[in-house]
Amino acid sequence: MTDAWIYGTHGSERTSRLLAELGFSPHRVAANGTLRPSDGGSRAPALAVILADGLEQPSCSELCARLAADEDLGEVPVLVALASGGLAEGIGITEGHELLVEPFSADELQARIARARRAVNGIDHEDVVRVGSLEMNLATYQVAIDARPVDFTYMEYELLKFLVTHPRRVFSREALLSRVWGYDYYGGARTVDVHVRRVRAKLGSEHAARIKTVRSVGYRWEGT
Amino acid sequence: MGWDQWANDRPSGRPYLHCVTGREQFVLRTVEERGVRFIRLWFVDVLGLLKSISIPVSELESALVDGVGLDGSSLEGASRLREHDVIAYPDPRTFQVLPWKPDSIVARMFCDVRQPDDGPFGGDSRATLRRLLEHAAGLGYTMQVGCEVEFFIFGPLGSNGAAPTTLDDGAYFDLTPLDVGSDFRRLTIEYLEQMGIPVKASHHEVAPSQHEIQLAHTDALSMADAVTTFRIAVKEAAHELGAYATFMPKPLAAHPGSGMHLHISLFEGDRNAFHTDSKEPLSPTGRAFLAGVLAHAREMTAVTNQWINSYRRLATGFEAPAFVSWTRRGGAALVRVPSRRPGRAAGARFELRSPDPSCNTYMVLALVLAAGLRGIERGYELQAESIDDQPNGAPQLPLDLREATDLFDDSELARETLGDRLCDVFVANKRRELDDERRTVTEFDRSRYLRLL
Repeated sequence: MTDAWIYGTHGSERTSRLLAELGFSPHRVAANGTLRPSDGGSRAPALAVILADGLEQPSCSELCARLAADEDLGEVPVLVALASGGLAEGIGITEGHELLVEPFSADELQARIARARRAVNGIDHEDVVRVGSLEMNLATYQVAIDARPVDFTYMEYELLKFLVTHPRRVFSREALLSRVWGYDYYGGARTVDVHVRRVRAKLGSEHAARIKTVRSVGYRWEGT
Repeated sequence: MGWDQWANDRPSGRPYLHCVTGREQFVLRTVEERGVRFIRLWFVDVLGLLKSISIPVSELESALVDGVGLDGSSLEGASRLREHDVIAYPDPRTFQVLPWKPDSIVARMFCDVRQPDDGPFGGDSRATLRRLLEHAAGLGYTMQVGCEVEFFIFGPLGSNGAAPTTLDDGAYFDLTPLDVGSDFRRLTIEYLEQMGIPVKASHHEVAPSQHEIQLAHTDALSMADAVTTFRIAVKEAAHELGAYATFMPKPLAAHPGSGMHLHISLFEGDRNAFHTDSKEPLSPTGRAFLAGVLAHAREMTAVTNQWINSYRRLATGFEAPAFVSWTRRGGAALVRVPSRRPGRAAGARFELRSPDPSCNTYMVLALVLAAGLRGIERGYELQAESIDDQPNGAPQLPLDLREATDLFDDSELARETLGDRLCDVFVANKRRELDDERRTVTEFDRSRYLRLL
């Protein structure tokens, strides 16, 4: 399931329903707390929606800034939904990755989500990420190069997916361990190097070099 | 953690969809998308030999959730105690499409074998290693292992017991215009990389028909899985080229045998605990770990060298170790500590040179780690380095499987690390092998005695 976190209360039930219809698993999250659902969950969501109307403590722009600064949530695509009056007041219109004006339809929400994910993670409307001849289908877990399937193990796939959908940012081994492996590993930080080597070997000469080693820091994906 | 965590957290009796995690979803979708027809569920017996049950795709969902029942005595090698039911749970993290079955797509998963009441099954050496690694992780340590595997590729085998044909013989080249050796290595490396086993280097070895492939270092469980996978990948590649690959330790009397050198290092988080900036080859932790391995080397020889044939490799030199010694130079010690390279702290390690490629890698790595941790916990002192391959009073490794088995049978370390069940079954297998040999009249008997007596 793909999580979507909703901040703010105005119209949150309707937004939850629309997100569920689009195949997301919606969670309502308090805007003034840890920014995470109270029931835990270590993975960052695929999407965050801020319902800006009536949001005061923190304000919409403060919330956006906190999300952007959060180590785990920094690259989550953020949609800001405004009441039409909000436009005139200028609340939140420069924050987030996409803007919605209430009331919005499921179709519009879907289109805005697709634009935000494309802009932030490079994921297209069919849940596919394309980098040159490399194609990663996030809905079916399949990776192909020049339309030929390449078989990855689950953790190799998860690592590649994380790097590919967070292009140009450097991640330390520790960050990759906690973001990709979660609590489910005992191989230590070297696990990351070992998996990077395996993924490079399977990607082959054309794409292997896209995973850059940043000396004494970590790894970075060069998408283009 | 890991699989246990998932198994324990699994809400029992709830509808299937509630307990499908990302890993299971990945397996199910991949099977569907790639048109996989059969799934091989892999486990190893006490001797490290690969066992496999094949299930059709229609059984996959229930296998992932409820496991697959099998007879636990199938893990006990040739010397079975009694039949009893156990459950094999496929580990979705090890799901991998097999590269050598292109006409009908087949995938494999390694299994965790458990008791029907979900308790651990003492006869599963893979699970035993995993539990020990979790224990070490609790102490803050992870062991990294690199591996150099030697083996032979022969022409098609004749009748059982006949001497094999080496491929480098002129006669064989007359039959095959291709250089089977280099074709073979290319195909094998391709298979291995597709199976997620990166190869560091490969080359032709000293003996005719002998090859070596170096596997890049990884955590101990992944390495043991890699060696298990490696053996079958090599055999498949050889088979495709009309040849036969063997990991028998000493197939040719006049040439060196096949070893499997293990490069061992220990990490505390990101830091290699063996590295030191001093002039010593290893840090104090590394010295104590190595002292533990050397102190228990004799009692673990039955596992590092588990066949009667293994001792023919150790007996004849060609750089195979005979004494419990360590060195920085020289090629005949049990352990070699490679010279430090400036700026390569992560590379600090030692090389254990006794194991051969037909061992149960899960049990070997479990014993090496347990012996090393014991060295650290109890502050063992490292013996003096051996110079110029002189043993200098270092104890001798067991001369044959009987001596090794007796030492293993009495080993408190082995019993504590592997458990009574695995030890008893292992010893029963070895005693049986020794009895079989004791009753066999060999080529040696005839050539030595037939005319003389």
